[in-house]
Amino acid sequence: MSEGATGSREPQPGLLDPTDLARLASLELRARTIVEGAFSGMHRNLHPGTSVEFTEHREYAPGDEIRRIDWKAVGRADRYYVKRFEDETEMHTFLVLDASASMGYRRRGVSKLDYAGYLASALAYLVGQQGDAAGLLLFDEKARSFLPPSTRPGQIREVFRLLEAARPAGRTDAALALGHLGELTDKRSLIIVMSDLLDSEPDEPGGGEARGPLPERLRQLRARGHDVALFHLLDPDEVELPFDDLIFFEGVEPGDTRTLLAQAPDLAEAFKRESEAFRDRWRATCLEASVEYRFARTDASPAAVLRAFLADRQRAVRH
Amino acid sequence: MHFLAPSLLLGLLAALLPWLVHLIGKRRALPVRFAAMQLLLRAERRISARRRLREILLLVARTGVAAALPLIFARPFAERSTDVPVASLDPQSAVIVLDDSASMSRSAGLATLFERARDRARTLVRLFPSDVDLALLLASAGSSPKISELSPERARVLEAFENIICSARPADFASALRNASLILSGSAHAKRRIYLFTDLQAAGWEAGTGLPAEGAPEVIIDDVSGAAPWENRAVLDVGVVPAPEAGAGGIAVDAELADFSAAGTRSLGVALKVDGVSVAKGFVDLPPGGRGHKRFLHRLTGEGGGAHEVEVEIDGDAFRLDDHRLAHVELARTMSVLIVNGDPRTARNEDEPFFFAAALRNGLPSAAVTIKLPDDVSPESLDNTTLVALLNLAQPSQAIASALARFVSAGGGLFISVGDRVDTTVWNERMAKLLPQPLGLPRTASALPGQHAGEIVDDRPAERLAPIDRSHPLLASFPEHGEGLVSARFFKYMLLDPAPESPERSVILRYESGAPALVEKQVGKGRVMLLSTTVDREWTDLPIRTGFLPLVREAARRLVGVSGDEETASLRAGEARSLVFSGDEQRLEVSRPDGSVWVGRREPASAIRSVLYRETDRLGTYHVRAVGPDGTVEARPEQDFVVNLDTRESNPARLDPSQRPDRIAVASPGAKPPKHRVELWHSLAAVMIGLLLCESALTLRRRRI
Repeated sequence: MSEGATGSREPQPGLLDPTDLARLASLELRARTIVEGAFSGMHRNLHPGTSVEFTEHREYAPGDEIRRIDWKAVGRADRYYVKRFEDETEMHTFLVLDASASMGYRRRGVSKLDYAGYLASALAYLVGQQGDAAGLLLFDEKARSFLPPSTRPGQIREVFRLLEAARPAGRTDAALALGHLGELTDKRSLIIVMSDLLDSEPDEPGGGEARGPLPERLRQLRARGHDVALFHLLDPDEVELPFDDLIFFEGVEPGDTRTLLAQAPDLAEAFKRESEAFRDRWRATCLEASVEYRFARTDASPAAVLRAFLADRQRAVRH
Repeated sequence: MHFLAPSLLLGLLAALLPWLVHLIGKRRALPVRFAAMQLLLRAERRISARRRLREILLLVARTGVAAALPLIFARPFAERSTDVPVASLDPQSAVIVLDDSASMSRSAGLATLFERARDRARTLVRLFPSDVDLALLLASAGSSPKISELSPERARVLEAFENIICSARPADFASALRNASLILSGSAHAKRRIYLFTDLQAAGWEAGTGLPAEGAPEVIIDDVSGAAPWENRAVLDVGVVPAPEAGAGGIAVDAELADFSAAGTRSLGVALKVDGVSVAKGFVDLPPGGRGHKRFLHRLTGEGGGAHEVEVEIDGDAFRLDDHRLAHVELARTMSVLIVNGDPRTARNEDEPFFFAAALRNGLPSAAVTIKLPDDVSPESLDNTTLVALLNLAQPSQAIASALARFVSAGGGLFISVGDRVDTTVWNERMAKLLPQPLGLPRTASALPGQHAGEIVDDRPAERLAPIDRSHPLLASFPEHGEGLVSARFFKYMLLDPAPESPERSVILRYESGAPALVEKQVGKGRVMLLSTTVDREWTDLPIRTGFLPLVREAARRLVGVSGDEETASLRAGEARSLVFSGDEQRLEVSRPDGSVWVGRREPASAIRSVLYRETDRLGTYHVRAVGPDGTVEARPEQDFVVNLDTRESNPARLDPSQRPDRIAVASPGAKPPKHRVELWHSLAAVMIGLLLCESALTLRRRRI
């Protein structure tokens, strides 16, 4: 499994930033925009790989590999078809989004939940375009909405609808939600988790017995043969603490009574170090659990994040 | 604590400002609902201890600064009682006499007695009201008055205290009190007082009190020593004499030591230092109040001579100045003399070198003297020779003349005496470059008609020397009227032909007739000296006169280029030293032990060839340099001198109460001790500046965390 981070705030040509995306009317449109931006000139298969057992033909869609076009079928039907193999058709994709209250934090730009929605919708659109089955799980301290994977028509629109309807609320318990997911699927799947992980502890550095519940769940999913990717989403404020004054900080999630009165500039440097250490520990935990770790700030272009994600996956398969 | 402007203390309310700002600032905090509370709390835990401490320090610093400003403007002061002897604070004229003699430099606790005396005198001045007229004198011998006219300006007196340091001179209370009386005699106040701050050591009172018999001012003595017992040990004297038994350059150093205690001293460590390096150490037992001696033998090194500082030091006590004593010794260059006997005789006492060699051997024991006949002398004979004496030599060979020219130019010394055998024509031809003046005809004392021939000795007319000029370094060691030299009689001498005036040539001695007797000439780096008579008794009785030995000795030293004194002059602190200008020197510089330089200038067109140096107030070696008209600087080691302590200052004996000049009751019994005001705003200002610096540092650091 690969790992990566997309934290750059440098604008890239052709890639809209999250604030610009928010101005687009619907989530479907945003998803398409992200995908088009991310995949201009590159293969868009979310499940790269080949299998020996041919199952069916599918009409060619932009992004499919040219070498997989069945030229004989083209000659017969005068339309472009690509070959599909058994392994591909059986691959499901689960989009697992943290919709707890902490994901709603934003001071500028978009919230982490909005950002996760952009990424998830783009991935769902991509999966749907490839004719694969996509499912969705929204969770906070429990599984809030669950849409099983399916290739039926309207599945992707349902995913969009659920994402658009999602509002940040409740406390977080990602371990519980992933445990629930593990019970709902026994077929090999690609599970993409998106969360700020703020109240989930990674493993202690050096390993040992001190393992958190969420890393444990991730390991279990890997043990069952699932391909797991974890998108660690953080607001820029949660990376740098760029406040200039005396601030009274309060917890966001229900029941969180933690408060702190502090001169933010006094804390900024120490906070940056803590935030970086926190991400490093999650990166190490995922590496150890063979889970792909990707860090993204919510001011980074979703298309760039998606592009990096897919490029890494393709590179991993080629190697 | 008191305040000159207490109403300004209302400004202390400003000290509440930092607290108000702190509290209002908290209330103005912006509320933010933040998701990453866990990371935030961890970061806060990491820096909280330092941050809180810094915030407290910042608050304290700012409060301190806000409070310090009104406090400073309110001019706080404290009043302290003092035991400084004040007869009264009535209007009066007062002369403060501060004892800055050597004994006051002894330590008493953390400070010296002098520092204690100065502080107490300063306190006294501050106690006086503004209508008291003040003057300030010092009690050491030869010191200059600090403020010699009465003045109500206290600030001026206080400032003068800052520039006074304790000297190494002895005390002279008679002069100090006499001067104080003179100053007070012109006072308009009815009450006239002398305040003397001293350790009441008996030394310095030998000449009495110096006060006038009638109308003497009142004297108030502050004994800053508190009559504490003082057990002192001292080096009273250090003498250095040649010690041939110790080998070449051997010296014997004799130290006289004294104990001034009731118990005596056992195993007192005595060390000999040469040029600052400890070379020998011994121990001496001193009886109570008694004396002891210690002799060191040491061999001075130094090829070709050189000056050495010899110091004897004993284990230290509270009075450091008399725990060591200096002597400055100049080691003569190893002198190797070649005497060429031009007129050998069978009877030794008729031989030319008989008297000359004897004078050399007795005057310069370290000199190696070799006597050769003219035929035995070759140019190689001059190797390793420092002085050549040609005595009544008929004619020098061409080879010898050339070798002598090279020898003298390279720094060698050449002494020439004449006689019947001298062939003046050959001499003038071959030795023209070396002779100070060409040789002329021999003259018998009565030979020239019309001239006074002087007295008749052994049926021979004789002539004497003209009065000598002692300013010439060669003659400086002779008595004032040249006794032992001017008594010599000359029956015959050789006239010298005139020579052009030259700064390289000078006549040292003349006969009564005005003819040159002893002439010298500088040739290259060396010198040539020509005696126009014999060094045996053929033409003169000079060799049997007492002046002959020192004349030969000094001539040899001058020709070889070494100092005339085995031991440089040693002065007591406070004594003056006469420094002599040589030739056309315009300036003499004295490097003092503390590194400062004193400059003495010669009065233009003045016949006075000396200058008096009086600033011998520091112990140590004083080096003299001469500056010529062209600015060239040349050391004058022969004028160097050392200054040691006046041994009277070592004696801790106290002044007998019956001899004390103070007869006034200092304060009436039961009276409150006087108080003096201590201003505190300086300290507060310093604290405020410190707090401001802290505040700046903390604020800067806060941005970095």
